[in-house]
Amino acid sequence: MILLNIKKGFDLNIEGTPLPELAELNKPAFVASLPAIIPFIKPKLLVKQGDMVRIGSKLFIDKRNPDIKFLSPGSGKIEKINYGSRRAVNEIIIKLDNNEEYVEFDVNKFSGNKKYSRDDIIKSMMDGGIWPFIRELPFRDIAVPDFMPKALIVSIDNKEPFQPDPQVYLKEEINLFKTGISILKNLAENVYVLTSKDFINIGMADNLVTHKFSGRYPADDPGVLLHHIRKDSYENRAWYINGQDVLLLGSFFSTGRYPVKRIVALAGSLAKKRMHFKTRIGVPINNIIEGRIADENKARLIAGGIFRGYTASRESFLGFYETSVAFIPEGGKSETFGFLRAGYDRPSYSKTFLSYFNRLPLTTDCSLHGEERACVNCGACAKVCPVDILPQFAFKSIAAADIEESLSHGMLDCVECGLCSYVCTSKIDLCGFFKNAKQAYYKDRA
Amino acid sequence: MLFEKIKRAFDKNRKHFRDDGKLKRMYPLFEALEAFFFTPENVTKEVPHVRDSIDLKRFMSFVVVALLPTFLFGIYNAGYQSNLMSGFSLDFWSAFSKGLIIVLPLVFVSYSVGFFWEILFASIRKHKISEGFLVTGLLFPMTLPPTMPLWQAALGISFGVVIGKEIFGGTGRNILNPALTGRAFLFFAYPAKMTGDSVWTVVGRLKDQSVDIVSGATPLAVSALAGTHEKIELLLAQKGYSFLRLFTGIYPGSIGETSAMLCIVGAVFLMVAGIASYRIIFGGILGVLSTGYLLNMVAGDSSAAWLSLNPFYHLVMGGFAFGISFMATDPVSAPGMENVKWVYGFAIGVLTVLIRVFNPAYSEGVMMAILFMNLFAPLLDYVEIKLRLKKRIPNVQQF
Repeated sequence: MILLNIKKGFDLNIEGTPLPELAELNKPAFVASLPAIIPFIKPKLLVKQGDMVRIGSKLFIDKRNPDIKFLSPGSGKIEKINYGSRRAVNEIIIKLDNNEEYVEFDVNKFSGNKKYSRDDIIKSMMDGGIWPFIRELPFRDIAVPDFMPKALIVSIDNKEPFQPDPQVYLKEEINLFKTGISILKNLAENVYVLTSKDFINIGMADNLVTHKFSGRYPADDPGVLLHHIRKDSYENRAWYINGQDVLLLGSFFSTGRYPVKRIVALAGSLAKKRMHFKTRIGVPINNIIEGRIADENKARLIAGGIFRGYTASRESFLGFYETSVAFIPEGGKSETFGFLRAGYDRPSYSKTFLSYFNRLPLTTDCSLHGEERACVNCGACAKVCPVDILPQFAFKSIAAADIEESLSHGMLDCVECGLCSYVCTSKIDLCGFFKNAKQAYYKDRA
Repeated sequence: MLFEKIKRAFDKNRKHFRDDGKLKRMYPLFEALEAFFFTPENVTKEVPHVRDSIDLKRFMSFVVVALLPTFLFGIYNAGYQSNLMSGFSLDFWSAFSKGLIIVLPLVFVSYSVGFFWEILFASIRKHKISEGFLVTGLLFPMTLPPTMPLWQAALGISFGVVIGKEIFGGTGRNILNPALTGRAFLFFAYPAKMTGDSVWTVVGRLKDQSVDIVSGATPLAVSALAGTHEKIELLLAQKGYSFLRLFTGIYPGSIGETSAMLCIVGAVFLMVAGIASYRIIFGGILGVLSTGYLLNMVAGDSSAAWLSLNPFYHLVMGGFAFGISFMATDPVSAPGMENVKWVYGFAIGVLTVLIRVFNPAYSEGVMMAILFMNLFAPLLDYVEIKLRLKKRIPNVQQF
């Protein structure tokens, strides 16, 4: 096992971390699949309103590769399909039956401890709708199956605030995790399992964890691991999967059913109950938050994390990849002489507030805390960047559309953690520059 | 509550500055004033949903706060020197109030003329007024002799802001430090008001003719006059400039530059807060000391007195302490890469001493040294970035 000491990054001292407690949510009346928020895909609908589906029925495929299928997370009638602008499919809502039925997949050939054919496994994963959980660096699109990567990285911890605790989701599912890993071993030359060094091993074989990190957010990110261990540029195209998704993989290959079980964290300073809930993919967000959050209008509901997630509405559903819901103040209150405050309770990466000495978790809101200005080259972004990019210089080459220069700065290594934007004194959305440039570069390839 | 009234006044008058209002060209001024009193109400639109509490206003106010001890001392010292020369009372309050009379008009002119240009450019370019000028507007008068005519000060800050900054695109895009650019302009345009022995002290009407008129020469000017066999330390001591006095700063000079002690206080504050780069400051001190010792080693009996000066005198005389603490550390005009900041600071130190020692035309070297290195900062950055990127494993993704 290799221990990596990752010096850069930043742990936000934020109030609202979920407790490691687990409760089961009531069965929701509806679940939904949300094609529009899955990055890069071009969904093609296979169902229409009123159709009857089972858990595991095909809902839509990705036009770019029709073998990549997205299956129904519920059994019942398709209640409604909501379209967004330009007929983007936002939500496919399924009204659940009382007794849900499953589509059965044949996974018997994968029993026993023999080496399976890679193609067979990939085909089963595609048919079983779990292939999209495997994604490919550096663009974080769904993995391209005919490529054999040097590494497949399983990241168990998630250092982004408010994410589910791996001790909670792994607790009783350790066998599923092992099954998942043994399947993954057929997909890549190496499978790296990354945990925090504080991770307490719960019944996991010692040789399962290959890398441990000590460090702050986003040291858990597969891109950060890759940046620190790669020796050659061909390793850049690595695959990764989240720890909790390995359980789904394990569950699929144990039961032959499309797995829908999810453990979701509810957190944030405005959440009254900050804990983990056992629920399912596509659960209505209201089902998670109802009665468990403060009655506050000037607040923001965030699905998937405060650095990388999206603003969700209460009426919406939890996406395919997201495992957390946070409720934090919207902020934006005007303050008199705000810039002169001593700031014992102001979270900051800089050392310009007394909060530097404050170890208590602080309430953090969505204020910008200032206005956008030109970059003054203060260098804070380069101090936090976990993959050693120099955002203060690289963003200028991106803004000047100098793609060669941007690439040599390591634009594609960006793990999109959002820390450079977070710390920026001039309130420049540096991470947005990288994200948009990466996407534009990716879309340009054709 | 007073602030609620101010808030209401802003809300009431906003319409005049908005789209169709009569004063819409002045919106940047309105906006800057409002943002000064009340933090703006904007929130994040997308990821990351949360942002750091720091903003440029706080960043720049920290520099202003760090300058305050030096500034207040500069006021006192300007008044003290003036009263000393004029034979008036030397007690604290009379010296301080005299200093206020000397310094505040300069500061007022600097801020008002400078902000005029800032607002003009912001209105034309339709961008917000940047906080960078909060610092420039205070730094600039502190680099001037107390006798500076106000119209010249106005001209200097205009040159600094317009030529030193705005023609490059404003705060963040300038190559040279605007305050020093303004000072350099005055230095070359009006040398009679920037050099010599008489400009460093405002002499009032003499009350008592029997008082000895003390020479107004600065320590640097005294040193520059030393003959080959003289020792500068002794010469300075004869004029009353002991090392301790040079360190504390009760001597004639530019308003802000004299007290090395208080510059250290400001510099430590900025370094602890992570705003000024310790690499630049320590690099500069190392540069001065090493050059000083090197010159000591080559100094013979017949060489100029400057060569054998104890290098620590270079640190406390003239504007070095002020320049390296507050001017060289300006993040915009300094290099952004961490390692070359050592080189940058070191070179400033070396050049300061070399200009002082070998170029008798300028008794002060730090201003030229910093401006010169400002020009090299992009090159230094370029070199370090290239070296660093060469080590990076490329990630290009051919398709």
